[in-house]
Amino acid sequence: MGRYIIRRVLWVVVVMLVVTFLAFLIFYVLPSSKPENSFVGKAPTPELIAQVRKDLGLNHPAIVQYGLFVKRLFLGDKYGWPGLGFSYNTKSPIRDELISRFWVTFGLAVGAAIIWLFLGIVIGTISALRRRTAMDRGAMGFALLGVSTPVFFLGILWLFVFWKTLHWIPGTGYVHLTDDPVGYFTHMISPWFVLALLFAAIYARVVRGNMLDVLSEDYIRTARAKGLTERRVVVRHALRAALTPVVTLFGLDFGILFGGAVVTEKVFNLPGLGNYILDAAFQLDIPVALAVTTVTALVVAIMSLLVDIAYAYLDPRVTYS
Amino acid sequence: MRGKGLIAAIAVAGVTVALAACGGGGSGGSANTNGNTTSGTATKGGTYRMATQDFGFTGAFDPSAEYLGWAFTLYGNLLIRTLLSYNHTAGAAGNVLVPDLATSVPTPTNNGLTYTFKLKQGVKFGPPVNRAITSKDIEFAMERIATPSVAAQYGFYYQPVIKGMAAFLAGKAKTISGIQTPDDQTIVFNLTRPTGDFLNLMAMPASGPIPPEVGKCFTQAGAYGRDVIASGPYMIQGSDKVNIASCSAIKPMSGYNPTQRLAFVRNPNYDPATDSTKVRQALPDGFVITIDTNAKDIFDKIGAGALEGSPDDPPADIIAQYASNSSKKQFLKTNSADRTDFIYLNTTTPPFDDIHVRKAANFVMDKAALKLAWGGNIEGPVANHIVPDVMYKGGQFDPGDYNPYPSTNSAGDVNAAKNEMKQSKYDANKDGICDSSVCKSIFFMNRSVQAYPKMTPIIQSSLAKIGITLNPRELPTSPAYTQIQTPSKHIPIGANAGWGKDYPDPSTFLRTLFLGSNILSSGNTNYSLIGLTSAKAKQIGALFPATGVPNVDADIDKCTAQTGDARNSCWIALDKKLMETVVPWIPYQFRNNVDLIGPAVTAYDFDQSTGETGYAHVAVDQSKQSQ
Repeated sequence: MGRYIIRRVLWVVVVMLVVTFLAFLIFYVLPSSKPENSFVGKAPTPELIAQVRKDLGLNHPAIVQYGLFVKRLFLGDKYGWPGLGFSYNTKSPIRDELISRFWVTFGLAVGAAIIWLFLGIVIGTISALRRRTAMDRGAMGFALLGVSTPVFFLGILWLFVFWKTLHWIPGTGYVHLTDDPVGYFTHMISPWFVLALLFAAIYARVVRGNMLDVLSEDYIRTARAKGLTERRVVVRHALRAALTPVVTLFGLDFGILFGGAVVTEKVFNLPGLGNYILDAAFQLDIPVALAVTTVTALVVAIMSLLVDIAYAYLDPRVTYS
Repeated sequence: MRGKGLIAAIAVAGVTVALAACGGGGSGGSANTNGNTTSGTATKGGTYRMATQDFGFTGAFDPSAEYLGWAFTLYGNLLIRTLLSYNHTAGAAGNVLVPDLATSVPTPTNNGLTYTFKLKQGVKFGPPVNRAITSKDIEFAMERIATPSVAAQYGFYYQPVIKGMAAFLAGKAKTISGIQTPDDQTIVFNLTRPTGDFLNLMAMPASGPIPPEVGKCFTQAGAYGRDVIASGPYMIQGSDKVNIASCSAIKPMSGYNPTQRLAFVRNPNYDPATDSTKVRQALPDGFVITIDTNAKDIFDKIGAGALEGSPDDPPADIIAQYASNSSKKQFLKTNSADRTDFIYLNTTTPPFDDIHVRKAANFVMDKAALKLAWGGNIEGPVANHIVPDVMYKGGQFDPGDYNPYPSTNSAGDVNAAKNEMKQSKYDANKDGICDSSVCKSIFFMNRSVQAYPKMTPIIQSSLAKIGITLNPRELPTSPAYTQIQTPSKHIPIGANAGWGKDYPDPSTFLRTLFLGSNILSSGNTNYSLIGLTSAKAKQIGALFPATGVPNVDADIDKCTAQTGDARNSCWIALDKKLMETVVPWIPYQFRNNVDLIGPAVTAYDFDQSTGETGYAHVAVDQSKQSQ
């Protein structure tokens, strides 16, 4: 077990190096625009362009820039560890801003995950147990709607109904949990639900399908034949087995949200990682884009590792070798 | 400077045809103004709240480097006083220089080479500096402009003009020999050449006072942006909490987070007696600008009274909604942004190396259709020359209805265009249709955002009438600019560029855009390559036609040295010359700034000098504000 984890952690490092290298190629070597042009005014002198290239660290060959990036990432820079450099746009350290935004996205992802797991599992299970009833069809109709409705549409519709028309929720924006806990929850409830509805729909379908498969297994019939209560059969035997694939799905979905909740963050004006990378892309703020990519890749890799470890506990057939 | 709308992350689409009749504006290019309006009683107090999708600062809000028009507005209206300023009001009156830190607008001596400014007594820096502003603080700001690591983005205006500044920049001198400060209230500038717009340079934010005890701690580009010391009526929130005992003790002011919020509160050291209410009324107690990544949300909040305004352009549907509703129209404010939209023609690449083709293209262009693509007159009047009228003295071009390529309703004159094309070497059979292969499938650069893509088919169909066919390529704003700013790309024609002024003087168009010596291999803004020499063409990889390229450098230098009415007439004559005998562009629109204000705004004005809301004269009614 210990050797397996060490081996996987080393693989995470390799994956991170590959990801950062590819991201570096995309952001630094391939762009059709020259980032320095955004910071030299509209009638720059060649000297000013050269000065800004130097300030931004673009005067070195690309491979040297990558080497410096990796070195600072592992050893830190003048702003602390890990060394992520400074934003071209704000001339401020990325590290502090990224940490602050990480917790915004973390809060969004955790809140949404709780809702979507709850809804997805409950709806999927009930739907499987009440197969071909009106409840099943209604639940799957909900799933179809959730999967088909784009987040930007659902978000704007949600704001129109609950903020602009009914005045039930505050408008968009973010309130820090430590500053105002009630304000935090009232501002986050909308993005949590909007983001969760998409995932809940997908998870409901997955859980339903798994439950239907498991409920037809011999050991379920055996459990019932032994006289166990239906509740015990479903919860202890069927649901546990049906949820194992969901763990894999959840691990990856949760990790991807750290750079992928762009639309939700945009619509609800949350200063998270998704907004950060989107703005960086528009402003050619390449170090920020690279930093967020690195963090997102790291979270996905860690989640993947945790999922693999958790699998062994959930499924006795899985062993580490 | 860059306009805020230029770099908006989410593009604004063109408005509907129904808007064509909305707004004022005339075909002659007069300003389309409804600034300086009040509703209710303008009183002191309250907080003026704004939101933007992105601050968009180009120099991290460091006044020595920052080049964004909206940042200029914040500095001049709220934060920084300069030797001279403007009244931050709408129309030509807003483009007139007035004294600010200086006691008067000086008259040059020594044949236009020396300017002496006397500073007002009793003007103090805000916290934490809390001392009187002296001439040394202005001198320090000028030295900062000439410090390479600060990367002053419009330092090129000062460096060749002030004696000794180039030597300081090159590290060959420890002081700028052309600047003297004989006492705390006097600063003298000695110039290398008579410069008619020098006084305008003394109203730009980079020339505002910076206390050396703080400024010396920030030697890198943009670094001072989070600790700007106030000299105006407002300061950045948290200024008073900054410890300036040592450089290492200075932390960023709490009121400015570059990705979330910028807040201004009253500067307790500001003495209104040293200022004029025509320049700054300073009515609200504070200003707060937050980042809101959802454009629709911003304008919904303005409509609901939860915000007072935004520096961002309202989306097309919002403009349509307000412009077509008589009770809501009062909240929509349109004013000349002193910006020209144009199609540039590269004078080095066929077929536009032939002036007759360039003239024919001007005659045939359906500017009326281009205007509709943008949404009609609410976005600005039709342009028939280069510099917006309001930038000339008194706000008038001479004559007001000047149009060297007239057509009925600005829809293009095909016959006149064909007559011009007949004189071109590319029309062998002289039928008014270009029959050379160089007129076929010409590479055409445009933007893929805002109203720009809507213009592509209009430009294609207009030019097709004289035998010119285009091969369009549409890119996002920044990559499209990068392409046309690189002369070695040999791009013959493009519609992606626009130009706004840096300060209210025609030189910021005519000198900056058409001086041959300004041509660069990268980041070039003389898109038509006027004044290119064969040697420079070889150096930067541009083409150079056998017939040569028109050159107006002598005219530009002549106008630059002049002052007063003679200067104004000189620029007007050059504007006409460019349109009639050089023909670098097809100008089609003098762009308006469109502001949407909330119901709690009781006073609004437009700062003509920067082309944004005049925050110095706004007021809010707190009872009408919602959360």
